[in-house]
Amino acid sequence: MAKKSFRRIIARRLVNVVLTIVGIMILNFALIHFMPGDPINEIFPRSAKFSDSMKDAFRDKFHLDESIPEQLGWYLYNTFTGQWGDSYVWNQPVLDLILLDLRWTMLLVGISTIFTILIGMAVGAYSAYRRGGVFDVGATSISLFFYGMPVFWLALILQLSFSTSEPFGMSWWPQLPPSGYYDTDRFGATFEWSLPVFLSVLKYMILPAMTLAVGTLAGVSLVMRSSLVDTMTEDYILTARAKGLTDYQVLRRHALPNGMPPMIALIAMDIAFIIGGAYQVEYVFNYPGIGYRTILAIEERDFPILQFIVVIGGVAVVIANFIADLVLVYIDPRIKIA
Amino acid sequence: MTDIATRRAFAAFAMASVLLMSAFVLIHAQPVGGQLSSPPFACHASFLAAEGDPVAEAGENITTYPNEHITLNGSGSTGFEGSANLNYTWKVKYQSVTRTLYGMMPTTVFNKSVTGTGVAEVNLTVTDSLNRTAWDTTLVFVVGRPPTWLQEHGLEVVGYGIIVAMLGTAGYVFGRRYLAGEALVSPAEKEKAHLALSRWGKIFRQLVRNPMGIIGVVILLFFVGMAVVGPMISGDVKTVQQGNDFLPPSPDHWLGTDNFGIDIFKELLYGARTSMVVGVFSAVIASFLGAAIGLYSGYAGGMKDEIVMRLNDVVLSIPWLVLMIIVAALLGEIDLTGIIIIIGLTGWSYTARMVRAQVLSVKERQYIERAKAIGASDLSIIRRHIFPNTFPLVFANTILTVAISILSEATLSFLGLRPEGEVTWGTMLSFASEASAFQIGLHWWILAPGLCIVVVVLGFTLLGYALDEILNPKLRHR
Repeated sequence: MAKKSFRRIIARRLVNVVLTIVGIMILNFALIHFMPGDPINEIFPRSAKFSDSMKDAFRDKFHLDESIPEQLGWYLYNTFTGQWGDSYVWNQPVLDLILLDLRWTMLLVGISTIFTILIGMAVGAYSAYRRGGVFDVGATSISLFFYGMPVFWLALILQLSFSTSEPFGMSWWPQLPPSGYYDTDRFGATFEWSLPVFLSVLKYMILPAMTLAVGTLAGVSLVMRSSLVDTMTEDYILTARAKGLTDYQVLRRHALPNGMPPMIALIAMDIAFIIGGAYQVEYVFNYPGIGYRTILAIEERDFPILQFIVVIGGVAVVIANFIADLVLVYIDPRIKIA
Repeated sequence: MTDIATRRAFAAFAMASVLLMSAFVLIHAQPVGGQLSSPPFACHASFLAAEGDPVAEAGENITTYPNEHITLNGSGSTGFEGSANLNYTWKVKYQSVTRTLYGMMPTTVFNKSVTGTGVAEVNLTVTDSLNRTAWDTTLVFVVGRPPTWLQEHGLEVVGYGIIVAMLGTAGYVFGRRYLAGEALVSPAEKEKAHLALSRWGKIFRQLVRNPMGIIGVVILLFFVGMAVVGPMISGDVKTVQQGNDFLPPSPDHWLGTDNFGIDIFKELLYGARTSMVVGVFSAVIASFLGAAIGLYSGYAGGMKDEIVMRLNDVVLSIPWLVLMIIVAALLGEIDLTGIIIIIGLTGWSYTARMVRAQVLSVKERQYIERAKAIGASDLSIIRRHIFPNTFPLVFANTILTVAISILSEATLSFLGLRPEGEVTWGTMLSFASEASAFQIGLHWWILAPGLCIVVVVLGFTLLGYALDEILNPKLRHR
């Protein structure tokens, strides 16, 4: 019985996922489509050299002379058959470019996100466990302070405080590379894996990773703390203590499993944002990931890339939420019955 | 019209007026139309012709508006009497691109219509038959149109209209009661007002006793004061001051001057209002939309709920930052109102979800069933029972949304979506980072607006958390 309803829940959520993805694509299509201006005039300079027949040929090729529902049909058809178009600027398939960038984004954002989620959970759990203590007050106020900090601002501050030599006369102050992803002066512009290059990559990763870490850390530890505080004040925790369980056992067996749902949702979102790229950090540090590519594409009005990024960013969030839902259904018996 | 209806109308009017009045006060002193109101600088090149050389005279500098047709009447002469074989060449340099107009056409009249604001340099070169030349330059300042009467005084008209309407309504209500021989303020109204006052008083006392709450209140009082007074002290921060740019901090300019030659400290004062206005207004729009959508979908239920929630999923998962920058890039420029609308329209989905959940739980309570049984309409159930039960949550959430909206504005500005012709903390940061403020010694240009944002956001976050703790029944007992 329980198994059957589990399957039904999954089927329902799956339908929702597909609907949401189609919705994202329709919205993406609509917003770009209803903007003023004729795309043909954007492609061709205003010059008599380009005859009307050439323009008509382009209209025909891109189905611009058809009705809007037909165009939407073409857009959905092309998306689902994997024809995502070429970048205007690089003249390469959009997918290839994004996959190249995805490596660097995964390396930088992925690693720092996973580490900070773990550390943030530990900090949040310990603050909730010693609620009102020195550690809790300190950690919470520091988290709140960093939580409201614009990421790009923190990035600028870190970048500048580690790139000036001897700031405020501190000769021991470490110097870190302010931008780029490895030492192109020493190892050449074409990237090849080797140990020194790898070490250089790590060194260039420190500052952007630190910036990302601070923001995520604050968010994760605050949510972890508040959801644990919620469960720690429940009556069954008192019962567990009364049974004579140690603090650790109470935390591990009773508080943590019940405090997990908001955490799982948050972790899913954080992981989904890895795919979306960390625009601000990658932009400030010139780190060649998806976020940096997005900003470049915005500056160059490279619409195929932008549309693709909007869609994959949205799809990543949808899928991450779906997985989070599944995990929740799996760990929480109450959802299965309902 | 029953008496109850009149009173409600009065109360609604009074509330709406107070809200709009505060909005009015917030925006009122803000100058309308952020373009350059006067030519930023003037320059006129003229050359003394040596004897025998030709003479060129391109005409006086002129100031014009975009898309206006301009005509310059130039003149030229040779130094020698009788040798009239002159060739006139007009060149126009605009946005660092030089174009030769009327290349070989010998005419002394220059005709052109200009688009966009800026300075165009129009050059007239006169060549005589011996290939000797003389030239003269005149400047065409293309400035933003002055605001129309409606743009300049529209807000005042609305504000005074509200005051008049408010007084009129009050006069009407009290007049009717007076003529009917009733007491002007009924005992029930007194009691209600008393209860409401004591309730808010209680919430306020709890807030002040809460450590997070009191810090938040103090921070916000400071910045609200800055937002109200700041722009009055700062004066004009939008006119470019040529030759005054990138000055280091000094007693005249406490934090130095920026790339437009404008005092950074003054900009900081001025930006307090614009940044707060963006944050508060877009949060109000987002909360209003979210509450309306959440109430509707939670109360309607079934298929309608399903459709709204799918839409909500779409809105929640789209990377708005990217999408909004695309939209703005396509639209060209965007002003402060545009930014407010963008942030407001994209920020409702979280509130909608929360309100819907709360509505679902309130809907099942018994008094709703009883209200239905005595024949209350859906609208009155929502208004009298469901909305009052969700309002505290929406209120606390709005405060938190203000913090997020201020951050969004700063981020959008930094990534290139700046409100046209306005100064906010976000635009300051954006220009500062473009100009590498740290490298040129203007540390405060980046540090000050950033710190202001951090502290304001902290204030709103603390206040929001504290209010949530006080108003949210689920958290109250802890």
